[in-house]
Amino acid sequence: MNTSNLIVCRCEEVTLEQLEEAYQSGCCSARQIKMKTRATMGACQGRVCRQMLDAWVHLKNPQLPRDAEQLAYRPPIRPVTFGQLAKGEV
Amino acid sequence: MTPAFPFDLLIVGAGPAGLSAAVEAASRGLCVAVVDEFPEPGGRMLGQFHEEKGHWWVGRQVAEQLLDKCSALGVKIRCGVSVHSILRSGAEWVLKTSEGSMQARNVLLATGSAEIPHPLPGWTLPGVMSIGAAQVMANVHYVKPGRRGLIIGVNVLAMAISRELSVSGVSIAGIVLPGIGPITGKEASPKESLKELMGLAHLAPSPLMRIGGKAANALGMAGFVSRFIPRSGIKIWDIPLRLRTVAVSINGRSQVQSVTLADVNGEGAVIPGSQREELVDFVAIAGGLYPLAELASVAGCPFVYAEELGGHVPVHDEQMRTPVEGLYVAGNITGIESALVAMAQGRLAAATISGDTGLLGQHHDQEVQEAMQDVRRVRASALIQFRPGIQEARDQFYRKCGRFQREKNGIKEEG
Ligand SMILES: Cc1cc2nc3c(=O)[nH]c(=O)nc-3n(C[C@H](O)[C@H](O)[C@H](O)COP(=O)(O)OP(=O)(O)OC[C@H]3O[C@@H](n4cnc5c(N)ncnc54)[C@H](O)[C@@H]3O)c2cc1C
Repeated sequence: MNTSNLIVCRCEEVTLEQLEEAYQSGCCSARQIKMKTRATMGACQGRVCRQMLDAWVHLKNPQLPRDAEQLAYRPPIRPVTFGQLAKGEV
Repeated sequence: MTPAFPFDLLIVGAGPAGLSAAVEAASRGLCVAVVDEFPEPGGRMLGQFHEEKGHWWVGRQVAEQLLDKCSALGVKIRCGVSVHSILRSGAEWVLKTSEGSMQARNVLLATGSAEIPHPLPGWTLPGVMSIGAAQVMANVHYVKPGRRGLIIGVNVLAMAISRELSVSGVSIAGIVLPGIGPITGKEASPKESLKELMGLAHLAPSPLMRIGGKAANALGMAGFVSRFIPRSGIKIWDIPLRLRTVAVSINGRSQVQSVTLADVNGEGAVIPGSQREELVDFVAIAGGLYPLAELASVAGCPFVYAEELGGHVPVHDEQMRTPVEGLYVAGNITGIESALVAMAQGRLAAATISGDTGLLGQHHDQEVQEAMQDVRRVRASALIQFRPGIQEARDQFYRKCGRFQREKNGIKEEG
């Protein structure tokens, strides 16, 4: 199956090929790949693709411990509106 | 309206864990509020029904009973409100929500779990959804997800929800494997999937376990998969479970029209020339569940990875206390289990919080111990077990968390 143009991160439209390129360029942890490609950084904040990215990195490098570097969650963890920002509710 | 005084306990998530905790804590005298981002309280229970010893367990009814108790006890429930941040201010928690801030002395995170997709070509087409979305459409909103669908992924949730869909009059072309791809490893091979089913079969008697049993009986030993599984699959409740078939791609121009299927050998390699198209108008992907723990991370709680529990889990002890002061967890955020276990965990968390607040008096230890034993009992007899060996995995997890805590406190391990 041809999976190179398979989308992994839907929000930021990051494909498997882009992950692979980032990996080849030296990014080996999920965090590094996220910084390079913006995978997991869209509106859903990785709710959909974070686990896939983790799994993919783990398949690449099964000996790396899984505890070590989990992708961080940063507030706001849900989208907020400009209205809420303006009211100082965020 | 946000009250000026802080709540004793603010619960995020009105699922089985959160609502059970609310009832228990309020009946012990705590001032309790619950927030949930879904328009209706009940969590995942709203869409669940299973056949159990000849009668149906209906999640919505269980939720309604809990809600009646909540309202009798004066628990404040706010729905349609998302919590997007949590921070500590002095001795209190401040939760930032889509409708202003809320304050509380203690916070219980009962945010449940989220789904993992299996990406394959075409998975972003309209008409492709997660298995949970199909469940919510059919059982919560009473809308059929389509006329004829295919389920990708073989696990307990795929089975339970396929059954619910077919009872609701939706035709299911079959349950197939996701196939070994760049993101799904060998756990997607027929051999591994069968092992999982057989693992389930050894557990407590339940219709779902019997599926595993049926499959295992039909198949003989796990090693002989490809020889024993007929190409057409095994029928369970009239739904073909096709353990030798994988989904290669989902096809359609602006909406799902078909799925390309192929047969595989026991190791998961595609048999050349076996590709064909199955006409369907929706596809549900069942890739499994993981604990939804964003707020625990934002609050500064450390995590431990536990595969059997579904991934990264916030560190907590068996009484549901995290290492962060005034922060507790219950339900699927602590690992993937069924609704009944989530309810028992909610009651335990409430007992622990009441104890920590000084409300239980001298019987504190005993009450918490009893609630802890109750969680173990409910787990052992749970109808739906997401993973075999869950109690052992839990015990291991608590040991790991204990070690983690001691290291953090600078206490050397012995031996
Ligand atoms: C798709 C799916 C199907 C399932 N099907 C079954 C089944 O058939 N049988 C079974 O036994 N178990 C099933 N489960 C497992 C299920 O998770 C448990 O049965 C049970 O519902 C877990 O209870 P809980 O209280 O921990 O979480 P949930 O019932 O998931 O409730 C969590 C609640 O927290 C809310 N929430 C989360 N984050 C926030 C936030 N930031 N702000 C505000 N609110 C928030 C959510 O809206 C949700 O209502 C299923 C799980 C999923 C995901």
